[in-house]
Amino acid sequence: MVSRRNLELITALLTGAFGVAVIISSTENGISWSEEGVGSGTFPFLTGLVILGGSIVNLVRGAVSEGGIALHAPEVKRWLGLFVPATLFVAFIPLLGLYVSTALYVFGSIAVHGVWSNVKAAAFAIAFAAAVYILFEWMFLVYLPHGWLGSLLGW
Amino acid sequence: MSLTARYVAACGVSLLALTVGQAKADWKPTKSIEFVVTAGPGGGTDNFARAVQNVITKHKLIDQPIVVVNKPGGSGAEGYIYEKSQAGDPHKVVFGTSNAWQQPMVAKLAYNYTDLTPIAAMVQDEFLLWVKQDAPYKTAKDYVAAANAKAGGFKMGGAQSKDTDELLTRMISKEAGIKLVYVPFKGGGEAAVQLAGGHIDSNVNNPSESLGQWRGGTQRPLCVFNSKRLPKGDKITATESWSDVPTCVESGLNIPMFQQPRTVWLPSKVTPDQVTFYINLMKKVQEQPEWKEYVTHTSQTSTFIAGDEFAKFIKEDVERVHKIASEEGWLVSK
Amino acid sequence: MDNLEALLHGFSIAISVQHILLMLLGVFLGIVVGVLPGLGAPNGVSLLLPLTFGMQPVSAIILLSSMYWGALFGGSVTSILFNIPGEPSSVATTFDGYPMARDGRPTTALATAFSSAAFGAFAGVVLITVAASWVASVALEFGPAEYFAVYLLAFASFVGMGGTPPVKTLVALAIGFAIAAIGIDTVSGSVRLTMGVDELVKGVNFVVAVMGLFGIGELLIAVEEEMHVRGVNSKVDWREVFRTVGNMPKYWWTLLRSTAIGCWMGITPGGPTAASFMSYGIAKRFSRNGANFGKGEPEGIIAPEAADHSAGTSALLPMLALGIPGSATAAVMMGGLMIWGLNPGPTLFVDQKDFVWGLIASMYLGNVVAVLMVLLTVPLFAALMRVPFFIIAPLIVVICTVGAYSVSNSYLDVMLMMGFGVVGYLFKKVQYPIAPLVLAIVIGDKAEDAFRQAMLLSGGSLRIFYANALVTTLVTVAIILLLVPLFLTMYSKVVRRS
Repeated sequence: MVSRRNLELITALLTGAFGVAVIISSTENGISWSEEGVGSGTFPFLTGLVILGGSIVNLVRGAVSEGGIALHAPEVKRWLGLFVPATLFVAFIPLLGLYVSTALYVFGSIAVHGVWSNVKAAAFAIAFAAAVYILFEWMFLVYLPHGWLGSLLGW
Repeated sequence: MSLTARYVAACGVSLLALTVGQAKADWKPTKSIEFVVTAGPGGGTDNFARAVQNVITKHKLIDQPIVVVNKPGGSGAEGYIYEKSQAGDPHKVVFGTSNAWQQPMVAKLAYNYTDLTPIAAMVQDEFLLWVKQDAPYKTAKDYVAAANAKAGGFKMGGAQSKDTDELLTRMISKEAGIKLVYVPFKGGGEAAVQLAGGHIDSNVNNPSESLGQWRGGTQRPLCVFNSKRLPKGDKITATESWSDVPTCVESGLNIPMFQQPRTVWLPSKVTPDQVTFYINLMKKVQEQPEWKEYVTHTSQTSTFIAGDEFAKFIKEDVERVHKIASEEGWLVSK
Repeated sequence: MDNLEALLHGFSIAISVQHILLMLLGVFLGIVVGVLPGLGAPNGVSLLLPLTFGMQPVSAIILLSSMYWGALFGGSVTSILFNIPGEPSSVATTFDGYPMARDGRPTTALATAFSSAAFGAFAGVVLITVAASWVASVALEFGPAEYFAVYLLAFASFVGMGGTPPVKTLVALAIGFAIAAIGIDTVSGSVRLTMGVDELVKGVNFVVAVMGLFGIGELLIAVEEEMHVRGVNSKVDWREVFRTVGNMPKYWWTLLRSTAIGCWMGITPGGPTAASFMSYGIAKRFSRNGANFGKGEPEGIIAPEAADHSAGTSALLPMLALGIPGSATAAVMMGGLMIWGLNPGPTLFVDQKDFVWGLIASMYLGNVVAVLMVLLTVPLFAALMRVPFFIIAPLIVVICTVGAYSVSNSYLDVMLMMGFGVVGYLFKKVQYPIAPLVLAIVIGDKAEDAFRQAMLLSGGSLRIFYANALVTTLVTVAIILLLVPLFLTMYSKVVRRS
């Protein structure tokens, strides 16, 4: 279970951290406004201040808010069921290449629901990866990563 | 990396290129080739890469297909950094200008030109001083006098910051002792339109960037930054062609030569035969009629600098730019 | 009536079997690249470019511009069906298009989008036909200060619409500006906000941000609901297409207003993206159904689509007449013009009559071809909505990944996209508005560049923003648009109290 208050606090902390990073990073570029024009760090610095200030306000408001529950346990489970495999899919691209990762990911995501038979799911996953290959690499000459596995096979 | 180290590296590359010249060119591309353009679509560098692609495709100089990819991010740095990451892959050819070695001097970037293998400079683009059609001055000398008389100086537009256009602007303002406020735009085309609208006083565009505007009577060139006048070619306006534009020295501004080479590079760690292959390929490209058409059409000057000569050329340019950049306080510490 | 005569001459060039075939081919390929996020119109046009080297310039531009029309239409399909805008200019279409499709009316949403887009494009071509030279001279009036004023106007009409806490809107907007500033700064040439990641020097591409914020973010929201095994129940009904098209005249006022905004932004040149956002913002503010916006209101689809296409079409005019491309695709086509031996610029209309009027005639024909083709495909696309969620979800993840990667062949972009996905989810969950964030990413750096260029020209003085009638008017209208909602809320509070 995740409370709405926690989500508010997480978001405000994230935006606040980004604001701090922007402020620090922009001071390296020089902040000025003179006859010579406006320094390249000036506007990022100002936006950084706005982000930080706004985040503090949101943090305080979030902390005192009532909110209630934003996500119940089954929702959290479903959410993780989408997010974790998607992250793994992305993480495995440099290793397996896009096509193999795609086939595995699509197969896994469909098979786990048990609505389709494993054979049907596998056939669909391979067909989809092949379609992506044909469409991008053959028709439009856009090369997608073949990964470590690809270079191992000399592809 | 210190400057001397850069020279040593550059010389190393040129030695490599020398041995390459003698080696037999056995290598051939084995898959499709990517032409990485360090500028957005439609600009001078983009046209350059596409002209090379056009010639190669038309005369079937290679069996493999060519894909042009634009990587304009970071004023071209995106393309060079990408090329750096492709070390050892001879199927990635990057197209750029002198910004390959100039940009790392003035901006903190994750590459230096020594991370690339130079192939050739194939064409030199010219620079002219352009003013609005109805401006009172007829020569560069009048222009300088008028800029001197105006409080706050003249506004000069150009493409990008701390790149060739701004470099030339600083040279003019030093040589003539006038104040020029440089206003950077995304590209030369934009600078031309801003001049036509009278929002700036002048720009130093390449011929192709302002040709249409000259013909259309919104602006005219005062002089060309070359020791010789440009070749005649067709008439641009009713009475004038490129050869009617005086050199800047003739016109009263003592900057005899300023050009921008358009350059071709491979990633680092490619073999000598691969370098030779591309040097020969680019030579063949230059022999075709379509190439000559491209050069005349864009009023550039064809050239072929490769191997040793190219390394020397880069070294000299690095010295020259380094001097101006350090005077202007543009240099970044690495 | 010189123009009319010239146009008829243009039709005589454009209407030939070969040219009609090229149009069909171009529109078809355009729809394909438009539907697939990450390919997009600029990519498709640059891929076709080498094929055109051997063609007559007129045939070449007909092929490329037809592809452009096809891609413009295709870009709306994924926005409406899956909340994934493939192009910056179709972001605003998701706001009401996607809710309507989710609501079981994908056919209506698509048909509404296509017919208003066709209307906008048609108006854009008419404008080019009758007012080409006038338009070119207007565009010249725009210096850096005026550009800034146009961007300010776009922000003003869109931001401050209420519905979310103002502080959250402000934070979202500022984050967008900061993201837009990442990379090399045009005005100083220095590297900004890369925070130690060298590759970020190229900046954060819009497509990467949007694939994450909209595509992945929406999936993460949708998965929480119990809709796993069944898809959206939508009937494939051809009659619905005709009914929707027939209903369009009811919205004549929205159509006209949005088209006017689009044409104006296409010329000035604020571009199609700014136009679609601005048009949506204004429609929401002035429509009687304003409260329904964001929940699947037809006017919320009509406004951005008509504006997007009229701007996209009229953006070709500055390209031909001045040599400044109004969009990325126009820039690729301009590169093509040079290779075919034509020089864009003030004299193209005089020197190359056949080419220019052939192109303009082909815009009329190409749009008719495109709209017929996409209307025919509506039921097919709508049928995609019936695919169950557990199948479509992994496919969307893969497509977003491919889209983000192919922007510049970078794995970093894929990781950024996943990050944006989580941000998009969190923002939606705790009511931070995403639209101002996206608008700031798209035009934030342009607005900043224009402002700083103006400061260089004026020597640091803000006087340049009321130096002439044009810029003063623009700035005043922008400020009024910003203040009106503020006064309205204050007024209603006072009324309630008394």
